[in-house]
Amino acid sequence: MKHGFYSRIAMENIQKNRRLYIPRILAEAGLLGCFYILLTLAMDARLSEALGGAYLSAFMSFGAVVIGLLSFILILYVNSFLMKRRKSEYGLYNVLGMEKRHVVKLLFTESLITSLLSIALGLLLGVLFYKASSLLICRLMRSGIVAGFYYLNAVTLLIPAGIFLALDLFAFLINSITILRMKPVELMAGKHAGEKEPRIRWLLLIIGLLTLGSGYAYALTVKSPLAALVGFFAAVILVIIGTYCLFVTGTTFVLKCLKRNKGYYYNCRHMPAVAGLLFRMKQNAVGLASIAILATGVLVMISTTVSLYSGVQDTVNTNYPQQLYLSANQTEDDTVTSIPSSSLTEIVESAAEEYGLQIEHIEAEKMLTVSYLTRGDALLTKTEVTGGWSPEELTGAIFITENTYTQLKGQTYFTTDARHLDLGKDEIAFCRIMSTVRNLGEAPETLTIHGKEYRVKEMISYFPVSINMGTLVDVVGIVVADEDALEEIYLAQKAAYGAYASEYMDRIGVIFADEEAVSAVAAAFTRTVIDKLRASYPGALSYSLDTKWEALHNVLDMYGTFLFLGILLGLVCLFSTILIIYYKQISEGYEDRERFQIMEKIGMEAQEVKKAIGSQMALQFFLPLATAAVHTAAAFPILLKLLKILMLTNTQLFVSCTLITLAVFALVYTAVYLLTARTYYNIVH
Amino acid sequence: MEILKVTDLKKTYTSRLGGAQVQALKGVTFTVEQGEYVAIMGESGSGKTTLLNILAALDKPTSGSVELEGKCLDALKEDKLAVWRRENLGFVFQEFNLLDTFSLKDNILLPLVLGRTDVRELERRLEPVAASLGITDILNKYPYEVSGGQKQRAAAARALITEPKLLLADEPTGALDSQSSAELLRVFSQINRNGQTILMVTHSTDAASHANRVLFIRDGVIFHQLYRGDSTNEELYKKISDTLTMLRTGGDRG
Repeated sequence: MKHGFYSRIAMENIQKNRRLYIPRILAEAGLLGCFYILLTLAMDARLSEALGGAYLSAFMSFGAVVIGLLSFILILYVNSFLMKRRKSEYGLYNVLGMEKRHVVKLLFTESLITSLLSIALGLLLGVLFYKASSLLICRLMRSGIVAGFYYLNAVTLLIPAGIFLALDLFAFLINSITILRMKPVELMAGKHAGEKEPRIRWLLLIIGLLTLGSGYAYALTVKSPLAALVGFFAAVILVIIGTYCLFVTGTTFVLKCLKRNKGYYYNCRHMPAVAGLLFRMKQNAVGLASIAILATGVLVMISTTVSLYSGVQDTVNTNYPQQLYLSANQTEDDTVTSIPSSSLTEIVESAAEEYGLQIEHIEAEKMLTVSYLTRGDALLTKTEVTGGWSPEELTGAIFITENTYTQLKGQTYFTTDARHLDLGKDEIAFCRIMSTVRNLGEAPETLTIHGKEYRVKEMISYFPVSINMGTLVDVVGIVVADEDALEEIYLAQKAAYGAYASEYMDRIGVIFADEEAVSAVAAAFTRTVIDKLRASYPGALSYSLDTKWEALHNVLDMYGTFLFLGILLGLVCLFSTILIIYYKQISEGYEDRERFQIMEKIGMEAQEVKKAIGSQMALQFFLPLATAAVHTAAAFPILLKLLKILMLTNTQLFVSCTLITLAVFALVYTAVYLLTARTYYNIVH
Repeated sequence: MEILKVTDLKKTYTSRLGGAQVQALKGVTFTVEQGEYVAIMGESGSGKTTLLNILAALDKPTSGSVELEGKCLDALKEDKLAVWRRENLGFVFQEFNLLDTFSLKDNILLPLVLGRTDVRELERRLEPVAASLGITDILNKYPYEVSGGQKQRAAAARALITEPKLLLADEPTGALDSQSSAELLRVFSQINRNGQTILMVTHSTDAASHANRVLFIRDGVIFHQLYRGDSTNEELYKKISDTLTMLRTGGDRG
């Protein structure tokens, strides 16, 4: 037979089955487009140059891998649906005298056509949307680039094309094995292959309850962000396993209970729905569980990345009450001396003058930062602790004198509480700067440091010195009476830690009058400050220059990347969900058609048929959505802790982001439901 | 008492291509008495399926009327048809038309459930019907677990449980082996003796020979009818065979 024959028949078949093929082609094209965009973003040198993002490339590659895996699963899933529907057609060709190798050849031609169409369309979409994507990511990072990029490169075109071609080839191989191994009669009967009512599999039910329960328990009870970070993925996997198990058996269990309840079951609205769902649960459960998990993925990814991104300014503001921190040490003959704050102030002032920047305030801060383990109301050095300790016990303490405290608080910038502390010799004021684990009691009466008991005279809510210690551990601020008291602690920790002990930090914090003006010349200005510092102290010099704008840039770089990835992956998950729903509806529509026709013959009114269909579909549809909502709610505490690691502490913001995401998702989901419900109803009727 | 009265029923189809008119029924008139067991025989294309569809209100006649217990089908509103069908007719189809999602019991109860019957009433009604059809033991099985004959008896039970005025059977033995056929026909005769009116469309002489009266339909008209009288099944079988031979050889009514 001539080749043209196959391609003609193949084209006809695809056209005839367009209800099945068009979504498949669009889905593959969409996935490929996203894959292409992520891959190109990771590889586009100009972009990383312009944005200077260290995260961008790594995260985009990660995203591409995720999409690749998702594509693999989805395409095989869709393929199995397609094959199930078309098996009988191939069987007919076989019966009509086509040899199996000819049927396989026909299948190959069809696969090739759909594959090439999808890949071409996908690449086109990718290239077209690349510019928009690169522009979006530049905007998200507030880089000032307004044009976006065109990028055409053989490598980024060929890699996705090759991967998806291989995927389609794999699907084709599976299909051809199915065809080669089956007898024509079986092929023809493929659609009607009988399914039995599933049994309740108690073992799976128990496994499901246990895994889901432990995943939930972990997410709900985890105390520290550190533990959250370690256990998050384990919890996610537990919940995924639990979801699958419970959908497979739990739904059967519930439906059987409903069925046993005669009053409920023998009702014209419930009976067809319950029996129909129960009968199909075996094949359905996996699809429904997948929808639930994908939906949860959408909700979690979008809500966290959006709230992280919109909380950027917030985060940076809390962490940087001043805009620039400078401290420096000089090493001469093995002794380290810190450069006095007065000369640091001079240097910054002269640099500011050069750039015409007005300084509102410069504050010298002398502080001591020590890390402890907390046990009860005591801060212990590691030498005081025998045996093991857990990272959750770690606490950072920042010590300042009452003098520094009063000075800082006296500034207009900090006037929140003007009272004098008037600390006695063994008295301290105590502040929780970052309390994620809450090791120490809510309001401890006394605090034992280096074996000495201090009375906590006052709990203060705002500590005027901020130091970026990360947020994995608790950070407390302690105000001591005077220089002597500070020296006492300094010497004690020096004795305990030896070479690893902390040094005093003499640093200055600068507040500029016009923050915008500084950020505009930020890079040059900081360079000048460092140059001047080096000029004044030509010896061995170590310094720390921490600026708010650099922090903002870093955070934006990271969260912008997160947000972009969150949106893209969220969209991909959303479309995957829609795709699975669509194919489920279609294939079930064909199966249910006969069933409802029989019911009409027996005397079910058209109105009743519609209602029965409605209640069957609503159950199927909203179960995954409800599951996703519950999962998200259960994940909320652990996500909140993870966000703390990323320095987002604004719970309110996260709550509203999650609720908005949920609302939007539910809306889109319902729209999809209504649309596919119509397709379903048209098929059934 | 007359339960069904069919008067000058005509049905004309317009074929999709060319718009040619095909007359499936050319004026069919007959009546069925309460408690009668009537078989309608005819070749494929004789119009018997069309007739059955019209009787079941699944299709509308071009002209003529169907009256069930003196009530004209035309008077029924479109949206009330399903209810009317459920309340007045019982169906037995060639292909059983059992729902594979339901156990036999649920299949049988379905029409009652659709009629919003009370749960306690369901069990009460099920028992005697299942017993009379000999399927009490297999009620909890699913259609794919039982034989064709058992399926058809379940389908009959489903048709009978609503205590219909008229049982319509469309080739009920068409998909059964001879033993299952014989069994089903025996059941039909038995329920007829208990007072159930049956109208069966068939082209099986054997099936028709169980009826009290056989109507022969050809080219859209009632061509001939046979009464059982005092004949046994075997004698009626012989008479039907002769009639069919005569019909086939194209003879006129003698």
